[in-house]
Amino acid sequence: MARAFRPVVLTANDLVEGDVVWWTGAVWSRDVSDAEVFDTPEAAEAAEAALNTPEHAACTVGIVRVEVEMRDGAPFPTLRREQIRAERRPTFDYLPTSKVSEAA
Amino acid sequence: MYSYDEFDERFVRERVAQFRDQVARRLDGSLTEEEFRPLRLMNGLYLQLHAYMLRIAIPYGSMNGRQMRMLGTIAEKWDRGYGHFTTRQNIQFNWPKLKDIPDILDALADVGMHAIQTSGNCIRNTTSDPFSGVATDEIEDPRATCELIRQWSSLHPEFTFLGRKFKIAVTGASSDRAAIRVHDIGIEIVKNEAGETGYRILVGGGLGRTPMIGKELRAFLPREELLPYLEACLRVYNMHGRRDNKYKARIKILVHELGIDTYREHVEAEYARIDRSNTAADMAEFARIAEQFAPPAYPELPEQSAIFERALKAHPDFAHWVEQNGFAHRVPGFMAVTVSLKPVGGAPGDATSEQLRVLAEAAEQYSMDELRITHEQNVVLPNVKKDELFALWTLLKSQGLDAPNKGLVTDIIACPGLDYCALATARSIPVAQEISKRFSDPARMADIGPLAIKISGCINACGHHHVGHIGILGLDKAGVESYQITLGGDPANDASLGERTGPGFSYDQVPGVIETLVETYLGLREPRETFLQTYRRVGMAPFKEALYADAA
Repeated sequence: MARAFRPVVLTANDLVEGDVVWWTGAVWSRDVSDAEVFDTPEAAEAAEAALNTPEHAACTVGIVRVEVEMRDGAPFPTLRREQIRAERRPTFDYLPTSKVSEAA
Repeated sequence: MYSYDEFDERFVRERVAQFRDQVARRLDGSLTEEEFRPLRLMNGLYLQLHAYMLRIAIPYGSMNGRQMRMLGTIAEKWDRGYGHFTTRQNIQFNWPKLKDIPDILDALADVGMHAIQTSGNCIRNTTSDPFSGVATDEIEDPRATCELIRQWSSLHPEFTFLGRKFKIAVTGASSDRAAIRVHDIGIEIVKNEAGETGYRILVGGGLGRTPMIGKELRAFLPREELLPYLEACLRVYNMHGRRDNKYKARIKILVHELGIDTYREHVEAEYARIDRSNTAADMAEFARIAEQFAPPAYPELPEQSAIFERALKAHPDFAHWVEQNGFAHRVPGFMAVTVSLKPVGGAPGDATSEQLRVLAEAAEQYSMDELRITHEQNVVLPNVKKDELFALWTLLKSQGLDAPNKGLVTDIIACPGLDYCALATARSIPVAQEISKRFSDPARMADIGPLAIKISGCINACGHHHVGHIGILGLDKAGVESYQITLGGDPANDASLGERTGPGFSYDQVPGVIETLVETYLGLREPRETFLQTYRRVGMAPFKEALYADAA
């Protein structure tokens, strides 16, 4: 039996910067909590179809769905991989001391 | 060191110009991502979890101070102040921006470097022994052969779109420090009964999801036949290797399915058919290449150095570092040393821009301008006068590059894992960091002795876990990280693949699991027996018992 549909958001990487970005329904945001949540397969498909344009292809790479649950009213990815992407950084202190303030 | 001739220089510059144009066309929308992706990969540019990643080739892991300094500049100017040395003796930058890549490649070209063949289904960077040219057990410096293979394989029209990537390693020494038995083709420089130097060829080794030890294809291949013979090997693979399933497309699967004897028959038949003179390197050209790897002008020095001896006595930390990280040099009065990129709690293989610059300075000032990157993610300074070792150590120490742990429990190989890699299923680096912290006591490390822990964050095995004395493989179990443990792997002459202990462990359990394995070894070992020797003597049972007894 097919697994029940779970809410999803749409994500990609920014073409120029490579940064992880999330579709808010209007623009691409760096913050997953801004993402628009699609509660049905039909809504997700419609959003994907709407993003399948040369304009979006010219600023993003690889638009895909990511399953989320709601935490404090905002979407939060269920998979570890996507949680790490949403953090926009590795899970350990990866920056040299000289760069910590710069990247903050 | 090989230095570019006019052809190499022009070839790399043209390639950068070509890619600059391709990037511009992607940015202005003339190229789709589908069109652009293969082009960027052919220039070492991946898209990972958080950002682009640029993998730069360091042919056979050999480089000079100027090149290392440029890596430091790139880290500082276009990345986040650090780079990551890989198990293929290359370096990766984790945060470059697409628009900057052509400038980075131009900067690399200024110092004779590039990112070609660091991705894609082609012949990748040929790797080698980091102690090439200085080891006492060497028949010949393997780098001339590596360079010959590099020139032959670069953009080879027939072998640019193989079924899968193809990795070659070459050793010139009797001790295999290049892991040739776990490469698609492993080459060992040998002498025949007549005293002629040639090659022993192994084929079909590899790690990944189907690990295999390479098998002997030819016991002795005359030197001048190397390239046509490799051509026959690759052509048979290219024609008969599977393309229906990328997980079964490596040459090891073909060799395994055909059997080594049948594969050899195919290769020999092809070899008999081809026009060898068309491919065979002119031996004068080989001599020209080899000349570039001729030993530097070593001054005549006594084997003993009074300065060195005094420093050893006066500075126990220095003496400890020399004992653990030093490597005997064939020239009297010299030593090679490993600069460990595994400080306690650090990310294995990472070096900051400051550290990269200090390594450049160390090479120029103390190692006759030579550096080697090891497949264990460390750096070797191959040509250090014993007289100057203490000064070198002092310089390295100023940048935290003095970890005295080569080959010990904290000298862990780890792939980037789920913290960076789009293919990963679990994290590797933080696991390495936790294990490293747990075994941080130098006396305990010394007591445990040689122990290679290797961690991969997915089944593709970039962290070489199959050939770790203790291997750790991170997997995804329904969205949660889970780690399988293997024991008894080793990549050297007596190569073996690790055996699974049993069910996997959670992320938090792994350091404790390693502790249990180490304690079990310490309880079982005989005098002077290493972890691997003990494991080979007693087998899996006592380790399994120690890990799973409570769960039974």
